[in-house]
Amino acid sequence: MNSKIKFAGIFFLFISFFIVFYYALKSDTKNNTQIMVGTRLPNIQLSSLFNPIQKISLPSSEKENFYLINIWSSWCVPCRDEHPFLVKLKNEHQIKIFGINYKDKTSNALDFLTKLGNPFYYVGVDSDGSKSIEIGGYGVPETYVINADGIIIFKHVGPINSTTFEKIVATIK
Amino acid sequence: MKNFLFLLIVFLLNQQDSFALFSQDREIKIYKNIRCLACQGQSLNDSNSDFANDLKKVIKEKLNNNETDQEIYTYLTARYGDWILFDPPVKKSTLLLWFFPVFILVIGIFILYKRTVFEKSKLS
Repeated sequence: MNSKIKFAGIFFLFISFFIVFYYALKSDTKNNTQIMVGTRLPNIQLSSLFNPIQKISLPSSEKENFYLINIWSSWCVPCRDEHPFLVKLKNEHQIKIFGINYKDKTSNALDFLTKLGNPFYYVGVDSDGSKSIEIGGYGVPETYVINADGIIIFKHVGPINSTTFEKIVATIK
Repeated sequence: MKNFLFLLIVFLLNQQDSFALFSQDREIKIYKNIRCLACQGQSLNDSNSDFANDLKKVIKEKLNNNETDQEIYTYLTARYGDWILFDPPVKKSTLLLWFFPVFILVIGIFILYKRTVFEKSKLS
């Protein structure tokens, strides 16, 4: 009888450990950058890159089905790579893009837009990175698709490439 | 009276110092519990990356606005998920993680107790 209890105890412990390790192995132990997708974009206020007196608030109050938010900087090399995709999104899909210029020098940012074209409907300044953190940003570049209710429906960390471009187009259709 | 005033001033200055130390300790404690998501396995306290410095500034501002540790953690997990915390919060999904070791300890103590009682009764 005693040995039966001992066996049951050891068996129970073994099963318990098995369950714990099984779930530990299966659990998501990586950073999930999509945590804010499906939630409302936190309110942020941005001053314009072109005219610091002019301010806007996001989520946008304009009646748009979808709009984009792109965090960029002139010193960020991947931002240069993704820029043609932003221009294409604006020209071919007529989507409004709100840019957040991240920790940049105003003159460099303006120079960047003059040379590569300005696909942005509005460019706001985030001089200390706090606005990007408010919306759950990691750095540059980063792109969000927001719907009319101010809900984040798509988020991409890193530069837009052709695959991401297609995904964005499919999302805003 | 003069002596009393002098002592009072020294006491108040000392209090201010310990308050500053306390708030600095609290700030570092929070930084140590936050993972720098742009670095490899470093806490905010160990990192000097852009992301870590931005986050430190935001946290400092929240501390100055008298927000509680819990409010700061809730703010961060809403934006970056539980992964940003080194100490996972007690939730339904982490219950096993938090209480399984305690459960095993209780079983161990129970077995030890039973054995001791058994040995004692054997001796007597």
